Amino acid sequence: MPCAQEISLRCDGIKRRDALRIGMLTGLGTIGTPGLSVFDWMQLKSHAASHCSHAKSCILLWMDGGPSHLEMWDLKPDAPSSVRGPFEPINTRVPGIQICELLPETAKLAHHLAIVRSVTSPLGEHGIANQYMLTGYEPNAVLQYPSYGSVVAHVRSHPIAMPPYIVIPESRFAGAGFLGAAGEPFSLRGDPASTQFRVRDIELFPEVDEVRLLRRKHWLEELDAIQKNLDQQQPTSNGSLEQAYRMILAPESKGAFDLMSESDETRHRYGPRTFGQSCLLARRLVERGVPFITVHHAGWDTHENLELQLKSGFAGAKVGVGLIPTFDLAFSALLRDLEDRRMLDETLVIAMGEFGRTPKLNARGGRDHWPRVFSMVMAGGGVRGGQVIGASDRTGESPLEAPVTPKDIAFTVYSLLGIDPHQELTTTDGRPIPINQGGRMIQGILGI
Amino acid sequence: MIAIFILGMVAFVADPIDGISFDTEILPILTKAGCNAGACHGAAAGRGGMHLSLFGSDPEADFVTLVQDMEGRRINTLHPMQSLMLRKSLGDLDHGGGEVLEIDSVALQRLSQWIHAGATRGISKDLVHFSVKPSEVLLRDDSHSIALQATASFDNEQERDVTPWTLFKAADPSAVEIDRTGHARVLQRGEHVVIARYLNQVKTVALLRPWSERDVDLASEPRENFIDSFVLERIAQLRLPVSPLASDDAWLRRVTLDLTGRLPRPEDVRRFLLDQESDKKRRVVDSLLESEAFTDYWTFQLARMLRMHSLPNEVSAFDCYRMWLREQIAADRPWNEIVSLLLESSGDSHSVGPANFHRMVDDARGEAELVSQAFAGIRLGCANCHNHPLDRWTQDDYHGLAGIFAKLNRSRIVEWTDRGSVTNLRTGERAIPRVPGVKNVSNEAKPIHEVLNWLLDPNNPLLARVMVNRLWKSMLGRGLVEPVDDLRATNPATHPELFDALTSDFMLHGYRIRHTLRTIALSSTYNRSDQSLAGNAAEDRFYSHAYSHPLEPAVLADAIADVTGVSDSFEVPSWRFAIHAIDSSQPVATLDVLGRCRGSSTPCGEGQHSAVGLATQLHWINGEMINKKIQSPEGRLHQAIHAGRSNDSILQELFERCWSARLNEEELERWSSRISDNPSERTKQLEDIFWSLLNSRAFRNRH
Repeated sequence: MPCAQEISLRCDGIKRRDALRIGMLTGLGTIGTPGLSVFDWMQLKSHAASHCSHAKSCILLWMDGGPSHLEMWDLKPDAPSSVRGPFEPINTRVPGIQICELLPETAKLAHHLAIVRSVTSPLGEHGIANQYMLTGYEPNAVLQYPSYGSVVAHVRSHPIAMPPYIVIPESRFAGAGFLGAAGEPFSLRGDPASTQFRVRDIELFPEVDEVRLLRRKHWLEELDAIQKNLDQQQPTSNGSLEQAYRMILAPESKGAFDLMSESDETRHRYGPRTFGQSCLLARRLVERGVPFITVHHAGWDTHENLELQLKSGFAGAKVGVGLIPTFDLAFSALLRDLEDRRMLDETLVIAMGEFGRTPKLNARGGRDHWPRVFSMVMAGGGVRGGQVIGASDRTGESPLEAPVTPKDIAFTVYSLLGIDPHQELTTTDGRPIPINQGGRMIQGILGI
Repeated sequence: MIAIFILGMVAFVADPIDGISFDTEILPILTKAGCNAGACHGAAAGRGGMHLSLFGSDPEADFVTLVQDMEGRRINTLHPMQSLMLRKSLGDLDHGGGEVLEIDSVALQRLSQWIHAGATRGISKDLVHFSVKPSEVLLRDDSHSIALQATASFDNEQERDVTPWTLFKAADPSAVEIDRTGHARVLQRGEHVVIARYLNQVKTVALLRPWSERDVDLASEPRENFIDSFVLERIAQLRLPVSPLASDDAWLRRVTLDLTGRLPRPEDVRRFLLDQESDKKRRVVDSLLESEAFTDYWTFQLARMLRMHSLPNEVSAFDCYRMWLREQIAADRPWNEIVSLLLESSGDSHSVGPANFHRMVDDARGEAELVSQAFAGIRLGCANCHNHPLDRWTQDDYHGLAGIFAKLNRSRIVEWTDRGSVTNLRTGERAIPRVPGVKNVSNEAKPIHEVLNWLLDPNNPLLARVMVNRLWKSMLGRGLVEPVDDLRATNPATHPELFDALTSDFMLHGYRIRHTLRTIALSSTYNRSDQSLAGNAAEDRFYSHAYSHPLEPAVLADAIADVTGVSDSFEVPSWRFAIHAIDSSQPVATLDVLGRCRGSSTPCGEGQHSAVGLATQLHWINGEMINKKIQSPEGRLHQAIHAGRSNDSILQELFERCWSARLNEEELERWSSRISDNPSERTKQLEDIFWSLLNSRAFRNRH
């Protein structure tokens, strides 16, 4: 039972003796309760008792621009044609759950998915909506909040040669905010689908071989020893230099970014495009213990010609290579691959963007920004698959039941990763900021 | 007369003999228990569906929240202990903050009495005086405990002891332990600040614990000017052993970097070491202060403080502003005059340089924050959403100052208009233009003059103080107050008398930055070695030894270019050094690798240090920045090899350039003995030594 106790202290700050008291008082209800309700807490506790672990890593598939909930996870076949859109729903492996016909591979894996159809946010402009969804904090002009990966990098100890927070290829909004430089992600920049793909500066400079690298390191240590005092005054600043050497020299990190070492068959399964190969790379990084990886997938801001962008990809395409088929291929390959390697239980996979799209198709055959209700998907990492959480109304305009806010998502993600959402961070000017403000566990997300 | 009589009656009725006042007796309990702290219900958005004003600054609103909101369900006057408010505080009900009150505490008793008596607001009294004794105390060791005593008086009442209701918080909680009764123990040597909070007032207590058991002998320490007397006095008080003075080459490297952002050239080092005259330091400082490099470097520093940046498609406005600032510094124009021009200028920003100052912010609130932070050393930003928790600034001050700047038109032609206003977030109404903490200025013809008078008030010279603090930090690596632009009573200076003396001296000498920089550079405090002793290594604010810090990105980039002999290429033709790259919107690869700050809306920390993140370190090891310059055929190393120079001569020059220090015979022998006779191997080894030197702390740091 050590895990259960651990999680009781970690996830809600309620002491064991209090928990017993609460248990007797639940009939009194919980008015205006912050954080976990008693029910959540019991759920999480029993989850911990049965699994005795939390997700070790998280892969966030960030669908930048705002993917249409009505064309992916929450189709409305019975709605008027002005709402319905061009695609039909299909059955999935789980009876009663339907998703878009362009997601046939994902449909076969629905038993792993928790599809949340009632995410709601007030923010419908990319910049701020991005920040809200990527940080779980409502944006504020005076303070830049840290994104998920930055918090994980800041809170978790990571005794590995790899950086704790990696973004593929890069992202403008997934930064460290007030946590500062140490929490910034390591952005890979290049395109993993390119045969020329190389991560900047991890390979030796021309004419400098490993022998010279070690000689330089040795001489540098000798020079620094002369100035011992400088060491004492900056005990931490050498950490990243050591990490840089480890990353260059350590066997486990050496081939981390080398997709050529994957079989053609595997590379093929993820699809040939950037997003697919980025997902494959993310899997390789999880294998090497990297706790948080964001894969940035741009292009979901489908204001016009939605069918072309989402399905075909380009005019006259014989096989659809649009956003959704690309996603379907990569997402399903990632889940299968993680499952085959017995890593799915300890890897949380999240697919979401900053908002959904307007229920009514616009005159240009597209949909505009719509944050009032949209969908997101979680799999692995202790999430109970094969379920739909919440619902939108008849036209996908508003949440109908169990609304989930970006704060709730943050609370849930941190809890699943074994991080106490109430733990406090400190801003550069000394203000205490809890990791999560005002979120609650998404009801029913846990594997019971 | 009648009004007073009625008020008196009301007060009498509402204040029965044992009446407990919400404002003066209940709020301090909530503050002490942490309920209205920024991390709990005091957050701007509240917590768990309940919002209280930060540290109880708005008693009226808090009373409504606790007693009247939710149909009064937070209070149960029949059964006080069943009140939601108490059950949550005791942790009986699910409460995100956990158990904040103990069942047998006096605080709980008082809360329950208050609820029992009807949970009324009671009479509201003004806190006229709050003090904590002692305000400064010297403690022997960590077993020595001191009782802090807080007293308060309301209106015309007698002083009363409010120690149990005062929140004591150490600035560094790992160094000071304070129990519930106000007894403090100091666990770490040095000086520590405790902040005492009661209602809307805060006071500070300084707790000193000497660094050693015995007095230190400072009789033979040189005192070059008044700075040294103040600093040594403090060192004696704290019984700190002092490091010896720095060597001549170390001093020269330091002063050249601090005044000009450049490294001394080998010939400067050699000449200085050979110079036997007693005034040689004065001559060096004077010539550095007269140099072009000084003007460039201080233009860069002040531009950053003013958040200077280019606006889209308005390069000429930026150039005009930058040139203007550079001219002011070249001419040693007094700082108060520069600031007057910045605040008062208007007109075409493409020809009137200082008018651009108003355009470096998005709006009036931004300008209020910039002006208060840069020129007054006040973090007024806190008071946007709530009264400043550690200072006297209110939301009326914040929005009032913004109200003055709301009358500016910030387009290309900058002008003061009679329109424009901002909303005071506290009242939801149009803010009354106001000079913070001074007066409302709705009726003034030129309210900006009142802002200037406020900054230049000889009795409270905010502008001079914050500038002196910045100058001190740029030379010593630490401000007398940290952060440098956060001057307030609750953030005391490490050397209050020195701070006052430096400020007076700066004003007496006409607000000239060169004067103060010279005074600091010639003190022996500035000349301490960075080699710490066993007894002073952990000390980081009393100047018993010098403090090293990483060079900032632009200075480091120029240092790399200088020592390798390979300059960076810039897209802007007039730039020759990284220090010219004031406009961070222009790409400069080296600076981006080194982690320069590129924000225009958020202030970049002054004295920004180079990034030491993973990507940066990887680049130092494998990237182009260093490797390409080392290997360049045009670079110093390959030129020297090409010219057939000896190992000794090349090594000596590399060390001289990177470390501003000469190798002795033994060291030279040690390094040169490692070098092969094989020409290709020799080149590689020399490159490797050069790489190691460029990566060494002694090169990457100012020390």
